[in-house]
Amino acid sequence: MTTRILIVEDEAHLAAGIRFNLEAEGYDAEVEADGARALSRLAVSDPAAAFDLVILDVMLPGVDGFAVADAMRQAGNFTPVLMLTAKSLAEDVVHGLEAGADDYLAKPFDLGVLLARVKGLLRRRDWARGDSGNLATARVGDAEVDFRKFEVRTRGQTFRLTLLEAMLLKLLVQNAGHVVSKGEILQKVWNLSPDTETRAVDNFVVRLRRYVEADPRSPKHLQTVRGAGYRLVLEA
Amino acid sequence: MPLAGSQLSAAKRPKWHYITVGVLLIVVTVTLTVGWQFLGVSDAWRAKEMTTLRWVVYFLGTVLFLLLIGGLVLIVYLLVREVRINERQSNFVSAVTHELKTPVASLKLYLDTLQMRNLPESRRDDFYRTMRADLDRLNATINNVLNAAMYTDRPVVDPQPLDLARLVRRAVDLTRTRHQLPRESFAYVGPESLRLRGDAQALETAVLNLLDNAVKYSKEKVEVEVEVGADGDGQAHLRVRDHGIGMSRAHLRFVFNRFYRIGAEVRRSHTGTGLGLFIVKSVVKGHRGTVAAESAGPDRGSTFTVTLPGIIEPAAEEGATEEVAG
Repeated sequence: MTTRILIVEDEAHLAAGIRFNLEAEGYDAEVEADGARALSRLAVSDPAAAFDLVILDVMLPGVDGFAVADAMRQAGNFTPVLMLTAKSLAEDVVHGLEAGADDYLAKPFDLGVLLARVKGLLRRRDWARGDSGNLATARVGDAEVDFRKFEVRTRGQTFRLTLLEAMLLKLLVQNAGHVVSKGEILQKVWNLSPDTETRAVDNFVVRLRRYVEADPRSPKHLQTVRGAGYRLVLEA
Repeated sequence: MPLAGSQLSAAKRPKWHYITVGVLLIVVTVTLTVGWQFLGVSDAWRAKEMTTLRWVVYFLGTVLFLLLIGGLVLIVYLLVREVRINERQSNFVSAVTHELKTPVASLKLYLDTLQMRNLPESRRDDFYRTMRADLDRLNATINNVLNAAMYTDRPVVDPQPLDLARLVRRAVDLTRTRHQLPRESFAYVGPESLRLRGDAQALETAVLNLLDNAVKYSKEKVEVEVEVGADGDGQAHLRVRDHGIGMSRAHLRFVFNRFYRIGAEVRRSHTGTGLGLFIVKSVVKGHRGTVAAESAGPDRGSTFTVTLPGIIEPAAEEGATEEVAG
């Protein structure tokens, strides 16, 4: 089965150029020029028509890229999103990631870097899902984590995970019992430099606690180790 | 839970809170003033105990309170203006960033592609054409920014005789070629020649901006009427009427402002920097003329009218040796 990629970009030249290169790499690429149409395209429930990756421009007519990523996540669509934008300030990068993007690339970009990021995101998704035979499920206290479906089931509730949430949880599960530093998390999960100033990791930890902790305010499993990082304890 | 888009934009506008505080302070001061008049003075007034000293205190107090209120109103007014300018400037930075980086990104992408892949001749020609168009766009943005800087608050120093009718017709031809439009997309009504004094290059920039806008904001079919004429009192007029997307009354007042663009920048539906009409206004002002926008509403087209003084009556002209607009 070919990998399907949706390019959401209103600049015709860029869209055509990206599409040409993705097709040359053997992907199946399609273009949508505005946010609202992209959302309705992505809302199709038929798994055969589902996209494996979305390349999303921030400045779009109608619905902007942040809102598209946000609406996708709200609707339970966790397809990896690579955000493209002309703005490259660190705070914009963090905005994009907080809105639900999984990776971020500033314009103008190198073609080689774009293709590597696409490949990387697809690989990370496969890794988080456990497609290549590695960790597919885990148990954290009462919570049952299914990395293939990006789901956490606990106390009769099911939570859907974004790619980044799943990757963070998986990184912590794989290092269960050990402290993982914030820098390592930024590097491995977010693809950012370890010294990036952001609250993103803390925010994600707060979210994960809602899924795996009986009482998120006094965490037993996902512990903060002051000045060092985070530690996951599978059985408390 | 991902952060909602509205939260993102709300975080960028804490300035409006300051304005709220300012308005509340004005309300408090007005209440105090009125309360002071009643409590402090009316008792004494009724008891007929208004001594000279009390009158002086009363008079001074009222003046000081009014000064306080006036000062606060002024500060809030300035704050609102500052916030508006700030927002427009950040919109401009955002728009120019986008207008500069998009063609650069496209050029880089196509260069990388040409370098990385073995392409057939026809495909390569396609790519070269795309890159050429990107370069043109980049150049247009750079010119816009430079022109805006050049024509701001600068009267025409040395007006030269020029032929406005000819200048406009040439601009129409150029716009038609640039946008690859058929002949009938522009209708020109006006005299063969209309001579006035002005800066030919500045006026050409302004006219081209008006025509470009008319094309840019047209719907699928471009139909633009361009009219040039003399008003009889030494003034010439130029009218550009399109049948495009138009605008609501609320926007008409602001379209000539620097960096003004309709709609939020992040949801931009048209390319541009918000400088085009500002340049038009600056150039026209430099000629001591006027410019006005009209629109019957969204989807009902727009009309821009420029008037320029300084027509040269054919009789008054001493030979055509100084012609500039050729």
